[in-house]
Amino acid sequence: MKEVDIAIIGGGPAGLMAAEAAASSGANVVLLERDGHLGGQLVKQTHKFFGSEKQYASTRGIYIANILEDKLKEMPDKVEIWKGATAIGLYEDDVLAVEVGKEIKKLKAKRFIVATGASEKSLVFVNNELPGIYGAGAVQTLMNVNGVRPGQRVLMVGAGNIGLIVSYQLLQAGVEVAAIIDAAPTIGGYLVHASKIRRAGVPILTSHTVTRAYGKESVEGATLVALDEQWQPLPGTEKEVAVDVICISVGLSPLAELLWHAGCEMHYIPQLGGHVPIRDKNLKTNVDAVYIAGDITGIEEASSAMVEGRLAGLTASASIGFKHDDYEAEVLDCNEQLRSLRAGPVGEHINQGMALVTSGE
Amino acid sequence: MLRIEEHPILTFDKSKTVTFTFDGKEIEGYEGDTIASALHAAGVKVMGHHYDSGRPRGFYCAIGNCGACLMVVNGEPNIRVCVEPLVEGLVVETQSNKGDLV
Amino acid sequence: MYLRTGVADKELVVNTIPSDERRQKGPYVFIECYQEIPCDPCTKICPFGSILPMDDINDLPRTDYDTCTGCTICAAICPGLAIFIIDETYSETEGTVGIPYEFSPLPAKGDVVEAMNRAGEVICDATVLRVNPNKKRQSTPLVTLVVPKELIMEVRFFRLKKNAADALPEVDPYDEENLPDSTVICRCENVTLGEVRALIDEGYDNVDEIKRISRAGMGPCQGRTCRPLIMGEIRRKTGKEFDEIELGAFRPPTKPIQFEQLMGGEEDDN
Repeated sequence: MKEVDIAIIGGGPAGLMAAEAAASSGANVVLLERDGHLGGQLVKQTHKFFGSEKQYASTRGIYIANILEDKLKEMPDKVEIWKGATAIGLYEDDVLAVEVGKEIKKLKAKRFIVATGASEKSLVFVNNELPGIYGAGAVQTLMNVNGVRPGQRVLMVGAGNIGLIVSYQLLQAGVEVAAIIDAAPTIGGYLVHASKIRRAGVPILTSHTVTRAYGKESVEGATLVALDEQWQPLPGTEKEVAVDVICISVGLSPLAELLWHAGCEMHYIPQLGGHVPIRDKNLKTNVDAVYIAGDITGIEEASSAMVEGRLAGLTASASIGFKHDDYEAEVLDCNEQLRSLRAGPVGEHINQGMALVTSGE
Repeated sequence: MLRIEEHPILTFDKSKTVTFTFDGKEIEGYEGDTIASALHAAGVKVMGHHYDSGRPRGFYCAIGNCGACLMVVNGEPNIRVCVEPLVEGLVVETQSNKGDLV
Repeated sequence: MYLRTGVADKELVVNTIPSDERRQKGPYVFIECYQEIPCDPCTKICPFGSILPMDDINDLPRTDYDTCTGCTICAAICPGLAIFIIDETYSETEGTVGIPYEFSPLPAKGDVVEAMNRAGEVICDATVLRVNPNKKRQSTPLVTLVVPKELIMEVRFFRLKKNAADALPEVDPYDEENLPDSTVICRCENVTLGEVRALIDEGYDNVDEIKRISRAGMGPCQGRTCRPLIMGEIRRKTGKEFDEIELGAFRPPTKPIQFEQLMGGEEDDN
C-alpha cells in the first residue's frame, strides 16, 4: 500500500492549486484525476475568466489548465500525478481505494484534500430522460473537447452563468439557440453574458419553464409555459418549440460521496447548491484528516475554487508539519482574495451559506 | 454533419481516423473521441433501451457521473461510453438489459 | 428590465456617455458593465490608466474620458465582451463601433453585414472597416463597423449575410396533462413520478425508504440524477425542508466496479 503525506482527489482548478501549494510547502503529494487529462472542467471553458490577475482573469479556461499543470511539472519529486484514477471509497482508517485502469489500489495518506467538484442537477418534466436532453456540461464536452455539435437547434433551460455561457458557445459552434428560458423572474447569470447573447438575437424568456419534451426515439420539440409571480403555470401560455436538443442548466450540486464515506457532518445549504460539509476557516472538515476545496465546499466560480485549493493545500500541509515559508502571508492572501471575490451583490448568497457551515475564526 | 469544421477559438485534430463497429455497422471517428462522441457525430443518439420499460436512453452528463450511457463494449456490459476512449476495432453494441454475469 | 431580459435599459447606457465635447474629439471606450461582479482586468491593462482603479473588485468600471484614446486594448481582454470602441468623427454622417466578436468566420474588411442592437434586432446594414483578430494574445477579435451616426449608441452586434440554419420540421406534441404520473423521475431504474408520489402519500417521507421500496437511486448513477428530484417531490408533498430529509448511507464504490477488480485488489499488508 502506497503511503503519502497528502492525497488530493480531483485534478480540476481546486485540486491543481492545492497540489502546488502543498508541494511548495514541502509535503509529498499524490494528485488523483479520474479523467485522462488534468484540468477538470477547465478543459472545455473557451471563454475568458472573470476575477483578478491572481485567478488568471481574462485568460481562457482552456489555457489555465495548462498553466497550472506546468507548475506541477516543475516539482516532479514532490508531486505524483495519477491520471485515469477514480477514488471509489474513503475509509475511516485514512485509506482511499482507487481504481487505476482495471486495478484497485490502496492509498494511505496523512491528509486528504477532497476536490471532486460537482455534478449537474436535473429537472423533472414529461419525457425528461429522452435522448437529446443533455446537461449543459455534456454539451460543452461534446462541442469543445470532441468537436461535435449536440444537434441543430437547442432549447437552453436555465439562465445562470453556465446556461448563458454554453448558449454563446453553441452559437460559436454554429448551432442555433431557439431560446434560453428560466423559471426565475430574473436572469441569474452575469448580465454581460446575457447582453452578448441577446444582441446575437437569442431570446431570453424569464418566468418560463419546460413542461414536456416530445419525440419518439429522441427529442423533436418541447412545450414551454409562462409562470406567474408564484411560479405557477399560466394557462393558455403554452407554446411549442421545435428543437432536437434540450440543454439542462439548472445548477450543480457538490459531488460529496467520499465525504459521506469518511463520516463528515453534512448539511443541506440551498445557497451552496446542496449537501456540503461543515468546516473551519482552514477548510478542514469535522474529520481531522479530511480537507475540502472547490465546488464541494459550495457551488461557486472556478476563480474561488483555485483560491480555496491553494488555501487547503497550505493548511493541510501545515497541520502535519510542512509549513510554507510565508505561511501567514499566503493564508492571509487567500482569505483576502476569497473575501473580495464574494464581496459584491452576486456573492451575497455564498457568504450567507458559508456562514451556516463555517466554524471558528 | 455534426462535426465542427470551423471554430473561432478551438481547432480539432482530425488527422487520425479510428474505425469501430456499432451494432454491426462500421463507423469512423477520430483519435481523441470518446465512444459516445463518435456515435453522436455519426447521428446515433440512442445508446440503449431501458431493461424494463424499453424506453430509449442516451448520455446525459458526458463526464461519467450519471451512468445513463451504458453500452456493451467488446462483449463487456455496463461500460459508460461517455468517458471510454475510442480505439481502433472496438465492437460497440446497444444494451437493453442489465448485463449478464459471465 | 435588465435583470429580466439581459438588454441594458436606456438610462443605464445614457449615464456613462461622455460629454458632447469629448465625443467630437475622436475614439473612446464605452463600457457596458452595469452589474457589480468580481472582475477587474480592464483597470489593470489600460496603458493610460483611463479605466480608474477599483477600491473593490466588485466595483463598476469608471472611465476617465480625458485620457482614453480609444486604443482597443481593454476591449480585447474583457471577459464579459462588454467593452465597445466608439468613434463619432469618422465622417459627417457616419461613425464607427468596435465590437468584440468571438465567432468564426470573421468578416473581411469591406463586407456589408447586418448590424444588430442590444436585443439582437437587425437595425441597419453596416460596412466592416477593420478586423483585428487579436490572434497573438488569444484574446477577443475586434470588428469595427461603419454605421449611421444616429445609431452609434444602438449598434452592438452584427451577423454575416447568409442563409438561416435549416429549420426542423414542426411535430405534433403529445396531448397529456403537465407532469403526469407517468413521468420518469429515476432514469436508471425507470421509476415514475406516480410511484414516488404514491409512496410519499403512504407516509414514506425520506429518500432512503423510497429507494429501498422502489429502487429509485439504486442504478448506475447512484442517485446523483434523481436524489435532488425526489427530495423536491418530498418537500412539495410534505413541507419537510431538504436538510430534514433522511438520505440513507453512502457506501463505496462511487462507480460501477467489476467483481474481478475487487478480487484482484491489493492485499492488506498490516
